[in-house]
Parts: sequence; C-alpha cells; structure tokens
Amino acid sequence: MKILEVKNLTVLNRHTKEVLLDNISFKLNQGEILGIVGESGSGKTLTGLSVLGLLDKSVFNIKHGSIIYNNIDILKLSDTELQKIRTRSISVVFQEPMLSLNPVQMISTQLIEVIKLHMNHNADEQIKVARDILVKTGLNDTQKILDSYPHMLSGGQRQRIMIAIALVCKPEILIADEPTTALDVTLQLQILELLKNVRTENNMSMLLISHDLDLIKNYADRVIILKNGVLLEEGSSFEIFNMPNHEYTRLLIDSSPEKLITEKKQSEMLLDIQNLNCRFPVNNAFFKKNKKYFTALSDINFHINSGETIGLVGESGSGKTTLGLSIMQLLDYSGKIFLNNVDLSLLSPEKLRESRKDYQIVFQDPYSSLSPRMNILEILSEGILSFNNISESKIFKKCSDLMTEVGLEPSMLRRYPHQFSGGQRQRIAIARALSMKPKLIIFDEPTSALDVIVQKNILKLIVDLQHKYGLSYCFISHDLKVISAISHRIYVIKDSKIIESNISDELISNPKDNYTKKLIQSSFIS
Amino acid sequence: MNIQSNFWDKFSTNKRNKYSLLIFIFFFVLSLFAEILSNDKPIVLSIDDKLYFPIFVSYTDKQFGGFFDTEADYKDEFITSRLKEKSNWAIFPLNPHSYDSINISQSAPNPARPSVYNYLGTDDRGRDVLARLIYGFRLSVLFAFALTAIGIIIGIFFGAIQGYFAGRVDLYMQRFIEIWSSMPELYILIIFSSLFEPSISLLIILLSLFGWMGLSDYVRAEFLKGRNMEYVVAARTLGLSNTKIILKHILPNSMVSVITFLPFRISGAILVLTSLDFLGLGVPPDTPSLGELLAQGKENIEAWWLSLTTFLVLVGTLLLLIFIGEGIRESLDSRSS
Repeated sequence: MKILEVKNLTVLNRHTKEVLLDNISFKLNQGEILGIVGESGSGKTLTGLSVLGLLDKSVFNIKHGSIIYNNIDILKLSDTELQKIRTRSISVVFQEPMLSLNPVQMISTQLIEVIKLHMNHNADEQIKVARDILVKTGLNDTQKILDSYPHMLSGGQRQRIMIAIALVCKPEILIADEPTTALDVTLQLQILELLKNVRTENNMSMLLISHDLDLIKNYADRVIILKNGVLLEEGSSFEIFNMPNHEYTRLLIDSSPEKLITEKKQSEMLLDIQNLNCRFPVNNAFFKKNKKYFTALSDINFHINSGETIGLVGESGSGKTTLGLSIMQLLDYSGKIFLNNVDLSLLSPEKLRESRKDYQIVFQDPYSSLSPRMNILEILSEGILSFNNISESKIFKKCSDLMTEVGLEPSMLRRYPHQFSGGQRQRIAIARALSMKPKLIIFDEPTSALDVIVQKNILKLIVDLQHKYGLSYCFISHDLKVISAISHRIYVIKDSKIIESNISDELISNPKDNYTKKLIQSSFIS
Repeated sequence: MNIQSNFWDKFSTNKRNKYSLLIFIFFFVLSLFAEILSNDKPIVLSIDDKLYFPIFVSYTDKQFGGFFDTEADYKDEFITSRLKEKSNWAIFPLNPHSYDSINISQSAPNPARPSVYNYLGTDDRGRDVLARLIYGFRLSVLFAFALTAIGIIIGIFFGAIQGYFAGRVDLYMQRFIEIWSSMPELYILIIFSSLFEPSISLLIILLSLFGWMGLSDYVRAEFLKGRNMEYVVAARTLGLSNTKIILKHILPNSMVSVITFLPFRISGAILVLTSLDFLGLGVPPDTPSLGELLAQGKENIEAWWLSLTTFLVLVGTLLLLIFIGEGIRESLDSRSS
C-alpha cells in the first residue's frame, strides 16, 4: 500500500533557471525503506526537503508536480498546515548532529518542546514520553541525558537525540538524509540498526538518502538512483545491485575500491619516527604556570620504506591528521623524525625549508586547499620558483607536463580553481605536490570529499604515480575500505596511540585488537 | 580577473551604485581643476597683442605697465582699465573668484547675499562662497583619500603581522592597541594644535596615529582565519617564505573586508575633518574648508546661503560615498546571487 507518492516533480533554481529536479516520480510504500542514491548535486537532499515542504521559495521554483500524502498535495499546503504534518506525520533526521541541536538549550527543553507542540499531554506524561523515546533510541541514562547540553554529548549520542526528536510523535514517514555520514564508522552501524528496528516496531516508512552504496544495499528495500536531478533507475534493492540496467548505476556499483597495489619488495627505510609526542595547551592561561595539555599523539613509532604505501586509519579526533602535520614539520612535537637518516627536528630554519622539497602533503578538501585568487599556472609554479630561478617558458613547459601527468589538459593552466570540479581540483593538488619532486607524499583523506566514482579514479592515479616514480605514501583516512585498497601496511590509530599494525591483508583477515575488529566489521558491512 | 569583471557586473546592475560612482567621480575630477573653474586670475589675457597665462605663470604688476614688483591683481582698477583699452581682452574662469580673494568693490555688507557677482554670496570676510565650496570639497576629499590610504597601509601592516604570526606577537600587539586606543584622541589634537603651527600634514599625522586601529582589527581577523586555510598550509609545505605567503596567499583573499570598508572610511574622514574645522581645531584659518563654512553659518544664522549650501555639498558627498560603499559591499558578498 503506498503512503507517499511523488509525481512529476520538477524544481528549478529561481535565479539561474537551472533544472535541479527533472520530472521525478516515485512511490513510498507502507513500512518500506526506500533508498535514494546519488552523488553530491544529484538532487537527493532536495527531494527529501520538498517532501517536507521545506524548500526555500525565494531560491527554488517548483515548476510542476505534486507530492501526495493521505490524498493531500503537500506542495499546495499553507505553512500552518505543513507545520501540523511535519514531525507528527513526516519527520526528518539531518546529516550534521552538531548543527541540528540548539547549543544553549538543554536536551529536555528541546525534546519536550516537540512533544508539547504535537501531542496533548500534561507535564508528567511529557517527561515520561521523552524518557521512553530516549530508552528506545538506546540512551539508557535518561535523566543525565535530559539535563545535558548538546556539547556535553558525543556525536553518536547527539544523532540518537535527533532521531528521538524525529520519532517521538510516531511519524508515518521518516526522512533520513545521510544520517550517519558525519559519524565514525563504528557508530554508523549502531545508528542504522536502530533506525531499522524502529521501522519494524512502528511499521514506519523511510526515505534513506545516502551516497554510500553499501549502506543502501544493506538497509533499503527499494532503491532509486538520481543523477543531475534525473531519476535514472528504480527497482528493488536486489535488482539494482545484481542486474543494473543503467550504465551509470553499473559505474556506481563498480566504484567501491578494490585492491590496487602489488606486493612490495624489501627496500631501505625512508622515514623513521621514534617516540613522537604531540600535545596542545587547553586552558589558554597566560599567567598560570601549570598549564593543562591535551595529548594528541603519544609515543608514536613507525617507519615508511621507500616505494611503499602505509595506511593510517582511525576515527575523527584520533590524532591521525596531527601525525600527518607533524611529519610535515608544521607542528611542534617532541621525539625524532628521520627522513633519509636526517633528523628533521634538528635542522635550521633555512635547511628545513630546503628539506620541504622531499615531503609534500595533499589535503582532504580540494576546495580550500587551492587559493581562489591564483590561477593553476601560478599555483603549480609557486613551489618550483621558490627553490629555482627558471625562465617563464620552462616553467610553462613543466606545469604543462604536470597537468598531463595527473590527467588534465595543459590548456587549462590559465583557469582559476573555481572553474574545476572537486575531482579535478584534487588532481591539481596532487600535481602541486608532485611539482617538488618529493620522495614522500602524505595524503590526508584525499578522497573523502569526493564522489565514489571520482574517488576510484583518484586512487588509481595515486597508485599509477607511485609505480612510475617509486614514491612513498602515507595515506590517512577514516575509511578502512580505501586504506586497505591501496596500502601495503596499515597502522590503526585510536586515542592518540597506535594500537595495531600489520601487513594489510593480515590485518584485515586476522585483527588482534577489539577496536580493530569492530572497525573491520562496520567497514565491510556488505 | 574573473573576480574583477564579475564584481563590476554585479556593481553596475544596480543603477544607484553606478550613478553614485559616476557622479562622485565627475565632481571630484571637476574639483581637481578648481584653479581653472574658479579663480580671480584670468585663464588667458592679451595686452598689447601679447598673450599671458596668469593661472599658470605669475606676472608682476610691472609687466603690465604698473608700478609694483608684486604679482598683479587682476581685479585692481589699474588692470581692469588696461583691459578695456583697444584690442586688449581677458577670459576669466566661470566663477571669477578664488577661495581667498576678497571682493573689495562689493557694496553690500558681508556676508553678502547671492548676486551676479558672487553666485552663492560671500562669507563674513567677503570671500566668495562658491569658490570656497569648490576648493573646500577638493581639500576634504583629497584629505580623506590621504588619511584613508595611510590608515589602510598601517592597518594592513599591523593586522597582517598580528594575524599571521598570532600567539605571543598577537597578544602583545593587541594589548598595545588597547592602551593606544584608550588615549583621548580629541585632547591630544587640541594640545598639539596649540603646540604646533596647525597644518594639514600635522592633522594627517595625528589622525593617522589613531585611525589605523579600526581596520587592523578586521585584517587581523581575516589573517587569523586565513593562516589556517589549507592552501596556506600547502604553501608553507612548498617552502615559501612568510612574506610571500602573506602577500600572495592571505592578503589577496582578505582584501574584501578592506575594500568594503574603503568608502565608509573616506566618508568618515571627511566628517572628521569637517567637525575639527567646525571646532576650529582643524586646518589653518585661511584654508578653504567645509567645516569652517559651517561654523560661519552658525555665527551668521540669518545668512542661509552659508549653511545651506555647505550642508548640501556635505550631505551630497557623504550620501554618494555611502551608496558606493553599499554597492561595493553587496557586489563583493558572495552569498547574494
């Protein structure tokens, strides 16, 4: 039995007249989880928002179409009528649990506000309902949670509270827009299981919006594939994943990272890290003598051989980025970092500047890692020029070669970063690192901000470059799938310590530490 | 390049911005030629078939057949009578008065009403109001440009150093700014104007000592944000020097706040000069200035041509600058489409 039907929904950007959703039609049945899959910009969030009537009319123009719920067209309702439907009948969980809760109100206030608004209960009953829903979402210490402010809770707890707020009125439909993307992998599984259980219990329907195919494959009953606002394919989860019709769907399914590296022969050590410690002062007391410190790295020991890729995997806040920045000599640390048997921490500023040629970094976000006011030629030539004086024509030739190397047209050199897509920008960032002819490149989540298909191509490029130039890589990521695809050895880092390390295959097939086991379990859910 | 052309497109789509800018530029350029527009010397003068250019070259009375070795007074009876002879002629500027020329032949008491001789009347010393407005406007705007330019250079310099190096440097400089900004600016101005001969350069120096702080705060904030941007960290890993990083990476990306402030700072500087002149603490007494005219208007409340005209010039200038500033702010705002 269908509960929600979207018919020929077409949405334009009011200013640019760009078609954002093009004639989208689909049905949501009672008790079903419908997965909406697409890369960023495909219109999947927009679809979710329009079902709630949350589209900003000054930006979006709903050209035609209807969204039928209970024989009413949601798009034709007034704001007050919509308010009655929202939360009580159709509810939503957003991606970012940090931004969705008001930081200056206690959880109890925010949760009870919803109950007050939509249900006729007296004060005692309200609290009882609030506690019940918290227990249901797996938050057992209800009194403590209710008396907390959002900042006192972890990301996972916050997302549970968002789910509690969304579910407290027992809605018929839940829209979950990337509900676990901002969470660590180990938490993802728990939240998804929770949503699945609630669904069965309340016979609720769910729109599960995600870019993550494995997640959709495991949790959705039916799937629709969106690309550039067009609905490409619709079908049951089994059909879509086992016999996809559309070329793009095949590409998507094919994009999950596969083993890209070959076995590495023994070679000499390039980078050696001994007893690396790093800490930051927490209380910014100027006159106080006994400062408090936050330990970001404690007693890290590891090495990278030349021509080898090592993977550093860990959740957010585990210290993996700090480790990358320490190797880059961008942070104060204690301990020793040897590159080719030279202790980097003992170098004079001028010698250190010269040594920077040998190690480069590629950052996560290709949008903030390229200066928006410089064209690509300037960006690529900058590093070369800071060490050598080369004529303009030679520089141009060098930069053209770099562009070809990373799979871009040399004719694009005069363009500015904003004229490129995320994947192209990441290629430029890699070209910039290559321009210095380094021995070691640190990749700090280089593909996390990219769509899956682009991610695969970038990983291929990275591995190809390694074969060609015998580069050593330190690959930092939270995504064990990506790490295991391209690393020879893996280090698992948690709470600023390395807790396990081994050759990739060994680590995946035979983990020793409990945390590693959990990590592997949630990373390879399919 | 792209950003600039995009900026101009956005700016000129709003007609108010475009015309405000054009009108302001028109009057400003016009006022730069004040000597040709409004002067008590003729532009060209022909005596005994010889051409003279009194505005550009100074001629003595003797050269025209007079007695004095001093510069000729072209309103003097001697020269006016010579000009009436045979083929002699002279072309006077549109407004034949300079800011300091006193019309002695004027019969009405000063300040005199607007008349055919003085289009906007005279002030209480018999000087032409229109001439004083033209010269006063030019002085105000040039003064404001200079003050703003100096303020921006110092502000960016200190703001950049504070924001880029952060930590200790920032801490100490911020404390210095707090102490420096709590100095009573106006009293220092009063004390200095009684210690030294008042002059425009002294005024610019004194005001610059304090004027940079408002801007350096914004530049500091932009740099604090910018220093942690990944492209800046990337530049550091490429081995670039600090100066290069500041000039090439952070500064261009933090100029938006500076440029946005520009017109507001200029109008602010005009207002400061006017108020100081009004209080008699500003430029030396003979200098044409809007503030001094306003003060005269206050003294001679019945002489409406003094206060009203100055008021209109002042309000017009400030309004145009604020419109322009608003336009720039809107056009640089990447959030508006």
